[in-house]
Order: sequence, then C-alpha cells, then structure tokens
Amino acid sequence: MAVANPPLARAPSTLIEPKALMGIRSLELRARAVVEGFLHGLHRSPFHGFSVEFTEYRAYTPGDDLRYLDWRVFARSDRYNIKKFEDETNLRCQLVADQSQSMTFGSGGHTKAHYAATLAATLAYFLHLQGDAVGLLTFDENVRDFLPPRQRADHLRLLMLALEKPAGGRATDLAAPLERVAQLTRKRGLVVLISDFLAPLEQLERSLLLLAASGQETAVFQVLDPAELTLAFERPTLFQDMETGREIYVDPAAARAGYVEKMTAHLAAVAGICEKLGVAYQRVTTDQPLELALFEFLEQRRRRKTRGRV
Amino acid sequence: MSFLTPLFLLGGLALALPVIFHLIRRTTRERTVFSSLMFLLPTPPRLTKRSRLEHWLLLLLRCLALALLALGFARPFFTETTTNDAAVPGAARRIVLVDTSASMRRAGLWAEARARVDLELRAIGPGDQMAVFAFARGSRPLLSFGDWTATPPAARAALVNARLAEISPGWGATNLGAALIGAAEALIDTEGQTLTGPREIVLVSDLAAGSHTEGLQGYEWPKGVTLRVETVAAKAGTNASLQLLADPTDGDRQAAATVRVRVRNEADAKREQFSVGWVPAAGGAFMGAPVETYVPPGQSRIVTLPVPAGAAQAIALRGDDEDFDNTVFVIPPVAQKISVAYVGSESADDARQPFYFLRRALPTTPRLALAVTPVPPGSGVPADAAMAVVTDALSAGQATALREQVLAGKTVLAAPKNVAAAVALAPLLGLATWPVEEGRPKGYAMLAEIDFKHPLFVAFADPRFSDFSKIHVWQHRRLDFSARPEARVLAKFDNGDPAIVEVPVGKGRVVVLASGWNTEDSQLAVSSKFVPLLYALLEWSGALAAPGAPQAVEENLALSAGPNEAVVVTGPTGPATTLAAGTNRFTPLQPGIYRFEIGGRTEVQAVNLDPVEARTTPLPSDELERLGAPVARTKPSAVSPIGQEMALQGAEAEERQKLWRWFVVATLLFLLGESLLAGRAARRSVTAPAPLAP
Repeated sequence: MAVANPPLARAPSTLIEPKALMGIRSLELRARAVVEGFLHGLHRSPFHGFSVEFTEYRAYTPGDDLRYLDWRVFARSDRYNIKKFEDETNLRCQLVADQSQSMTFGSGGHTKAHYAATLAATLAYFLHLQGDAVGLLTFDENVRDFLPPRQRADHLRLLMLALEKPAGGRATDLAAPLERVAQLTRKRGLVVLISDFLAPLEQLERSLLLLAASGQETAVFQVLDPAELTLAFERPTLFQDMETGREIYVDPAAARAGYVEKMTAHLAAVAGICEKLGVAYQRVTTDQPLELALFEFLEQRRRRKTRGRV
Repeated sequence: MSFLTPLFLLGGLALALPVIFHLIRRTTRERTVFSSLMFLLPTPPRLTKRSRLEHWLLLLLRCLALALLALGFARPFFTETTTNDAAVPGAARRIVLVDTSASMRRAGLWAEARARVDLELRAIGPGDQMAVFAFARGSRPLLSFGDWTATPPAARAALVNARLAEISPGWGATNLGAALIGAAEALIDTEGQTLTGPREIVLVSDLAAGSHTEGLQGYEWPKGVTLRVETVAAKAGTNASLQLLADPTDGDRQAAATVRVRVRNEADAKREQFSVGWVPAAGGAFMGAPVETYVPPGQSRIVTLPVPAGAAQAIALRGDDEDFDNTVFVIPPVAQKISVAYVGSESADDARQPFYFLRRALPTTPRLALAVTPVPPGSGVPADAAMAVVTDALSAGQATALREQVLAGKTVLAAPKNVAAAVALAPLLGLATWPVEEGRPKGYAMLAEIDFKHPLFVAFADPRFSDFSKIHVWQHRRLDFSARPEARVLAKFDNGDPAIVEVPVGKGRVVVLASGWNTEDSQLAVSSKFVPLLYALLEWSGALAAPGAPQAVEENLALSAGPNEAVVVTGPTGPATTLAAGTNRFTPLQPGIYRFEIGGRTEVQAVNLDPVEARTTPLPSDELERLGAPVARTKPSAVSPIGQEMALQGAEAEERQKLWRWFVVATLLFLLGESLLAGRAARRSVTAPAPLAP
C-alpha cells in the first residue's frame, strides 16, 4: 500500500462550519463531506509482521526465531542478524463513542453527541476509504453496541446506523467499555475514544493503561461544548443534571470562577493521564470545524510514526 | 375595638415574610439542563438591595392580606355597654348535690363528701350563687339560692357546713336520675332574672351501681347546664348484701315455713365465704347455727332458712366489710284462721251445687286455715265467721240475725239459686218487698260493664286477665235495686240486667250475685276467675290480710286506718309516735320492724333497705354521659370573676357582631387582587432562552 503524506495544511476558508455541516441530515454524507480532501491520505501500519518488504536488521539475541536469521549477512560479516519486515496488514481501528446523556448537551445548535457521531463517522469513513478495518463500540453506563472491525462495504453502513442511535444512558462509565475493548480486540490496532470525559477520572487511567498493555495504540478525543468551558449562562436558574436529574440553584455570575477553575483542573487531569500513558489526546469543541480535528489527529499520528522510526 | 383572642395578633409577625421574600432575588423555577453538575455548587439566594425592592404594590397587597387575616383570627369586636339588669351578670350558678343514700354510710365516704363540698365553697367566686341539695330517694335543699343570697358572703361557708353537720347518710335508695333532673330544673328556673353566667351541677356521690339513673333516659338536658362529678371512693373491700325474696308460690303447701334470702357479693369483693342466719331484731349474735355460703365475686346465691321458733325477726350476714346492707327484717309467716259460714242445704258432695265448689275454692293451707262451715236453714249464723255466703232462702230469723251482723261490719255474699231465695234476701237488705223475677236469656248471657276499679275486680284490671266472656250464664235473677240507690252495680249482663251488686248495709256490705255458680246457673265456678274473686272478697271484707309487699325505706307505707282512727307507730328505735288521726300514709326512714296500733288492732311491717342500694360497685365512668348528661371532665380553671365577666361580655358581643367575617372577606379580596397582579407580572417577565433539548 502506498504511503503518502496527508495534506496537513489547508486554508481555513475551505473548512466547513460545524453549524452548516450539522445541517446535513445524513451522517454518512456529513462524513463524506469532511473526508473529501483526504481520499489519498494513507498511513503505514506501525506493526511489523509477516511481509515481504524488508525494513531493517537487528542483532540476534538468544531466543529469536532462527527462521528470520539472515544467513547471507552471517556469511558476509560473521554476525548474526535478524531480518525485520514491514507489516502490510491493514490498520484495525476500533472507535469507542460515548453516547451517555451528558453528550446530549449543546448550546450552539447541535449537541456534543451529534458532533461526536459526526467525528466518529468521519474517521470511520476516512479509514474505510483507505481500506482499513473499522469497528465501533458505543457506551453509556453500559456497552450499547459493538461492531468488530471489518473492511466490508456494508459494514460502514451498520456503523453509521449505530452512531445515529440517540444517546440515552443516565451515566458515563468509562471503565467498562474500555475493558470490553481490551477483551474483545485481540489483535493490536488503534483505539479511538470519543467522549466528554465528564465523569470521575479514577477509572480512566487504569482503563487506558489496560489498553496500552494489551498493545493497542490509543487516541482520545474529548468533545466539549464551548458553554461548558466557560459556563456561558447569564440568568440564575435551576441547573438540572442531565444524567442524574439532580437540581440545584446556580447563579452563573457567582459560580463561574469556581466552575472554570474546576473544569480547567479536570481537563488538565485528563490531558495529564493521556500524556503519562502516551495516548494521543485531543480536545475539540463543538464549534470547531471537524476537518481541523481530523488534521490534528492525522498530524499526531504522523509525528508519532516519525518519532517511532527515529 | 377589642379582641377576643388577642394572641392571634402575633400572626401579624408573618408580615415580615413577604418583605423578606421580596428582598430575596426572585428564585426562578426556570430550569437549565446542563451536562453535569460535578463542577457546580448551589448558589445561596441573594438579597437584593433595598433600592431594588420590586413589585411594591404586590408586597403591599400581600402584607395587607396577612394583617387582615391575623386581625380576623383575633376575633375583634366593639365593646358594648351592657344593658343587663342582673345584679351580677356572668356569675356562675351552681348546685351541689350531696348523696345521702345508704351506700354513703360506708366508712369514710361521708367525711370525704363533706370535704368536697367544703372545697367547692372555697373555690366559689364572690358573685357566684350556690345551692346545696341532699338527695337519696328524693332530694331536699339544704341551702337554697334564696338562703345563699340572703346570707352574708362571709357566713355562707359556715352555714353550709353547719347544715351538712346536721345530716348524715340515711337508709334510702339513690334516685340519682330524679335528683339530677330536679337540680337541672332548679338551675334553669331563674325566677325572671337574666343570668348569663355558667350553670353547673356538682355531684358529690359514690356513684354506686345501685343508683337509679333510668330517669335520665328520656330527659332532654337543658342547654347551658353542665354536670361535674366529684366521686368519693370507698376503700376497696368486700361488700356482700342480703335481699329478702318473696314467698314462693308453693309456700302454702310446704310443711314447714321457710324464708329465702339472696346473698349477693359485689364484683370487686376480696372474700367469698359468708355466714347467714337469724338474729334478734335488735341485732346481736346468731340464734342457732348460721348457714355457711360460698359466693364468688359478682355472683349471688339463694339461701333458704327455716323459720325458727321464737322472736327472730331479722336475718343477718357476716363476713364482709360493710355492715349497712347486711340485715333484712322479716315477719315470720303465721297461720291465719278464717271461718266462712255457708247458708245452704246442699250436700257437700253434690258436684253441681255451690257448696261443693266453695269448699274446694277455699282450702286449708299451713299459712291460711280456711274453714267453710255449713249452716243449715233455720240455724243461726255464727258471729265469728269472717264472711257469710247465702245461696238458699233465708229464714226470717236468719235474715234478722245476719242483718245485725252485717250492720256491725260483716260481708255477705248472696248468690240466690232461685227467685224464692232472692226474695228472702229482702229483710237482709232492709227492704219490705223486693220484686224479683227469673231471667232466662236467649242462649246465654255474659258479664259486661265490669267496674275494674272496684277492689273486687281490681286484680283483673290488666287486659291479660280482664276477659270474662268465657263465663256463660244460662239463667239469672232480675233484681231491682231502685229502692236502694246506694247499691253499686259492679257488673252487668250483656242484656243490661245487673249481675253483681254491692249493697252497703251499715258498716258491712252485701254483695249480691244475680246468678249463682251452680252448674245450672253459670260457668263461674269452673272459670279461672272464681277463686281470685273469692279471695278478693275475703281481702275486701278485711278477713284476709293482704300479703305484705316488700317494703323499702323511704317508700310510703299505706295504713288501713279509718278516717278517725289514731295511729301509734313504734319503730325499731325510739319511743312510740302518735300520728294524726286519719293518717293512712307513713314513711319509714330506717329499716326495721314497725308496729302500728290502729284502733285497737296491731299491724306489723318489716321495712328493709332497697336491695338495689346494696350494689356498691362504682358505675362505669361514662354511664352519665351515655345517658345524655353533659359531664365536664375537668374543673374549670380559676378565673378572676371580673376578668371572667368581661370575657363573657366580650364573647357575647363578638358573637353578635361577627366582625371576623368582614376581615376574612377583605383578605380574600386582597388575595384575589394579588393573584391578578402577580399573574400579570409573571407574564411580563422575560424568560431566558432554554438550552437546546436533545
């Protein structure tokens, strides 16, 4: 499979405004509109395996499989070298999308759930075009839908249908779906987690660690509404929690400072965990064009790959 | 303006609430649905600055509504100048009813009752009126309202105590119902005065179960009269009582006379073993061996005692704690000898003739030795015979002799068998000639127009016994009493002829039956009326003493004294008393044996305690309420009389004016205005755009 650098830089004027994008009813069309410019964007699989394309030698260490010993090099240099080949199997990407009730919040005409679904669909469509296998797991407090990574043409449609289901759960439990992914995904691949992470973080670190330990490369998208970042409300009202239904009286003017402080700390905690575990973390707000998110995602992967090869 | 319940004015403090609520920035009921509250803390309500007090008109309306409501609850009224001409308006009128029945003789009860009355005297206000009544079978005033008013206030308590010291519980039964009704009536009888104060009966009694409360059942308690019960309780102890039972109906046939008494043990008794036996009337030890009896609490046993020889006239019970009901006085039955002369010629065995039936109707029993002596025609009628029965024709000598006896007081029953026998009665009745003819009714005649008020027939007055239609009369004599206008027709035949006529002759009387009881004349002898009629005649003639009804203390005792006969009474205690001539009523005040000397003859009567009075178990606590008496549970708190009077006047003025209604109406109007205004304000208020719903 050919490898080409993706077009990382595009003029902002060509980006599609999320408001306009969300006006498109069909999720697939939305994804296609975003992916327009990435038809040729390919990336290499970072995994080594059985393949004909040689990548490098390395010194033999006891325990290595003798089949991969390059006898010609041994004859030439009297050193034992192991041949390494580039794995040309396609990427297996598992999208993990949060569909809990808190994702249904939205202040700018569309909800976080819509935005996250479009993001997931965009990634799925993009990867599918590349010929990669894409799977999907949606969750709230439980795992809702699970589609294992496949490459078939109709699989993408099933995936879109699962993404279009309305969010409904009453709580967000990050631990259960990630453990499930770790159990179900035997082969190594890419796990993309899309959530607002508005839940206690005690389990997040452990779950991400589990994924990393099982050899999965993990990328995290934290989808937030701009109003959530700044508590952009004017009038004092009763605030009702979407997930628990709890109501408290809040005057935003009075509560804003404390809220922003706590929110910033929370975001920093999420980012810190990701950083610690080597997980690609990207925060997106629902007013950002999706292309930017995609660019950033691909850019991160490219940098990681480059770093990995150095 | 004054207030009946000024404490409710404290409700005006609630005015602060709307002011505070208006100062608090309006907490909205608007909701903002937010993704997560994990970073939010509740904001405490903030007070707005005074300059930002919003909706001042709304605030004013709310404050006014609250203030008017508080004023309305305080029951405002305008004080009026009273127009009462009563001396002390609002003063209480109180009757203290003191139980002096026999059950109050128990240890300690009377002293406690007096102490209770004394407490009432201390608690009374200066303007109050009080009367003290003592009651047992009847009630009598110890101190009337008039006495109370006439006595200087300082001397009233002493006067009441002095009057109470003069009396003590008697032997009477407790007629609680009548006493309460009498007191209630006395309370509402204000003699033209306008009295506004409370009216109250204070009952000081042991409330024994034997109190007669049945009088209250049909009584409509007067409005405004309340009853307060001050119960004096006896020490818990065993009380058993004796009740003399009436002679058994078959007593006449018994060989030996016996007396039966019922031993009753009260439900709260501790002991169950008692002795019953004869004692002398004056009291003392048992005469002979007593009968031991076992009576569980709440039950009764009947003990039969043989009448001993001697002067025993009382039966006593030993073994309980209370003595007042342990003795019953008994006149032991004695056989009475009565002789009846029969003037007739029939054989005693001829079952169709009057003599045959007369002998069988008047048999001899241990109590009553009745002897029917036949007097053959021509023989003299014995003067000692209590009554003479004439069926055959009297000879001239017999008629004259018998008339002498009748003039002296003898009773003669004349039932002439035929016209000749009837005509022969003329000298006896004091008639020269007497036209008599035989009457033969068509078919049969019956008795009609019977005078059931006459002593002969009074026993048949009850409708159950008044049917004489089964006595058929086939032949009778048509008697003409036009020459003797004093003759009283007691019954007629249904054809209008006189059937039974009483003809007074001197001190005595002749009762003439127009038809005899021989089988040819009528069915009288075989009817159920015959024997009672004969005994009624014997009683009426004075020969047969009527069986004495059980006599209770304080019940009127009928005496058989004539208009000019003096009566000398010898009671169980004290000397003989001479009653006024012509007195035929006597009220014994204590149990015992009473002897009455009336015109040379002696009557003896045993008087006993009312057996119901011996039931000393307390009445159920709600018994009086069940009977409709408005029993006050607690003693009213002592209010100073002046304050009480003003409170009463205020209550009445408030009741008339009912200003609170206007205050409530005004409150409702203000609240209506407030609702309209608040509704308009709410519509005007701008609501923030709600966040997008999913």
